[in-house]
Amino acid sequence: MNGLITDTWAGLPPVAQEILWTLILLLPALIAGGLTLRGYAPWPLVRAIIRRYRWPAVMFVLLIAISVGMGIGLLAQERGLRHGTAKAADKFDLIVAAPGSEITVMMAAVFLQPTDMPLLDGPTYAEIANNENVAISAPLAFGDSFGTASVIGTTAQFARYLADDRIEGRIWRTSTEAVAGALVPLAIGDSFTPAHGHGDAAEGDAHDGAHLTLVGRMAPTGTPWDRAILVPVETVWEVHGLANGHATERGDQIGPPFDPDYFPGTPAIVVHAEELWANYALRSDFTRDSQTMAFFPGTVLANLYSVMGDIRQAMSVMALVTQVLVAASVLLGLFILSRLFRRQIALLRALGAPARFVFAVVWSFGAVLLLTGAALGLLTGLGTAAVLSHVVTARTDIVVTAPLGWSEIHFLAAFVSVTLLLSLLPAAVVLRHPVVEGLRA
Amino acid sequence: MGDSRPTGLPLSVSALEVRSPRGRVLLSLPALEAPAGALIGIRGPSGAGKSTLLYALSGLIGGTTGAVRWGQTDLLSLSAERRAAFRARHIGMIFQDFLLFEELDALGNAGITALFRPRAERPSLRARAAERLARLGLDLGDRGVGSLSGGERQRVAIARAMAAEAPILLADEPTASLDRAAADRLIDDLVALTRDTGTTLIAVSHDLHLIDRMDRVLTIEDGTLTKDGGPA
Repeated sequence: MNGLITDTWAGLPPVAQEILWTLILLLPALIAGGLTLRGYAPWPLVRAIIRRYRWPAVMFVLLIAISVGMGIGLLAQERGLRHGTAKAADKFDLIVAAPGSEITVMMAAVFLQPTDMPLLDGPTYAEIANNENVAISAPLAFGDSFGTASVIGTTAQFARYLADDRIEGRIWRTSTEAVAGALVPLAIGDSFTPAHGHGDAAEGDAHDGAHLTLVGRMAPTGTPWDRAILVPVETVWEVHGLANGHATERGDQIGPPFDPDYFPGTPAIVVHAEELWANYALRSDFTRDSQTMAFFPGTVLANLYSVMGDIRQAMSVMALVTQVLVAASVLLGLFILSRLFRRQIALLRALGAPARFVFAVVWSFGAVLLLTGAALGLLTGLGTAAVLSHVVTARTDIVVTAPLGWSEIHFLAAFVSVTLLLSLLPAAVVLRHPVVEGLRA
Repeated sequence: MGDSRPTGLPLSVSALEVRSPRGRVLLSLPALEAPAGALIGIRGPSGAGKSTLLYALSGLIGGTTGAVRWGQTDLLSLSAERRAAFRARHIGMIFQDFLLFEELDALGNAGITALFRPRAERPSLRARAAERLARLGLDLGDRGVGSLSGGERQRVAIARAMAAEAPILLADEPTASLDRAAADRLIDDLVALTRDTGTTLIAVSHDLHLIDRMDRVLTIEDGTLTKDGGPA
């Protein structure tokens, strides 16, 4: 029997599973509501009570909406952040760097947050580039900027790969040409001189002799590279007074192959192989204790996510505790409100209303507040997530979107179900009040 | 109007005693008989137990022993839920300070018991509520009862009590919140309606204008029946 259920469940499409989960979570409240309201029409009375106590009701609805909104917003945002960072690392199959912190190298290469890193030498680069399984081996060169845009030296092949070959204008052909990310505030044809360093510490006149012209613009990638200016790696080396990676007789060459004897060094090499297995083989080949480390940024991110997963669990527990506190507040509030309309409840009993009808009135009152608050909370959560996504995207250039997901819907369904069940309590307590005392209240 | 249906129920009380939660005797009534359709006034000083008697006759108050028989039904022997069901069908109640749902209109209040009646009975009950309001001279449309005068509000309460065609009407100080003119109009309406329908009316009141219109007047003092006779 269990096997049949498990097999049937596994055979369902994911959307059907999610919908069923939502219904299962809502089922206790639906059953309670159905049993409570069966055969009665308490809505005119419930509307009257809500209108009479509208301000306390509004306060409850807002309290619930804010609490639910925070929970939903956090869940959606966390998922959006994970998706955004994972997407940003999509094009960085394998990175080879000098041994050190994978996270530091990933932050520099993928998210353009460079720090001082040891360099890989020419023979190492050559060994990687000459590996028969390697399709792209792009050295990266950091350290310069123009305005708020990082100027990154790399190869034309990697720039095309990064932009999926969607480049307005063209890729560079000489060392004085550059290609901008989609969000760089420069137009094709503009010239600029890169500064050495970033931000306030940048030395604007350090590379005075270098005048670069923008000849192309990459399509948006949804990564921090959208705000970067890509130049031939030779350019970066040259403006820093280094060899440009090529022997003197081939000094005008742009792009690979590089001459190991004239290779100034690179902090990271982005490697792309056409076959998945080849990436694993390359990682194994270039993971050498004292020479190089090779890693998949996706794996580093996954490890980070697993740490974040713990944080997420902690957040979920915090959200749950918040919801429990809110549910307790709602419960307390319903007790207080039920005291406020104690006289009306006593009147109904005096007029001969069955206990279940009175129960239905009080429960429906709480249910309307809870459902309204939850619906508003859903909108608040989506709004909060959208604002946070906008802020994160603006600050990191990682495109973060936080649409409503099934986890938020399940969260909401569980909250609604639990609180609707809890609101049966004040309804039950109201029935225990002596009628005559209520009439005289 | 269709108000001529004899609907009253006779009352038979025996060994009725109501005690407070601490055991103090609030009301002691060894015996009381009343025929169907009787109009009975209850008078006495404040705190004497008049309202307590009314609540005991409607099965609303706890700590009650003895028997309260309406027709063949001993109300006190029923469970709380069955007492409520009995009240819904047989007892209309009018309270001193109206006890209306302020956010509902007059018809909503007068027909409120339709909300918990079986679906099939709701339209006729609402129709009767409208009819009672019209009979009492109230043509209020959808005005909320919050904007009505005291007299109008008490009429709405009477319409509510009589909409279910209950054979018993229990009224607790129905004119106490009204000025003299409004009280007199209400007394006229109340007496006329109960007479027309053969309803048994038991009204607690300090209002001699109301008491004088009753067939029989009971005086309650210190929780006991001290006088049983005609109007003073």
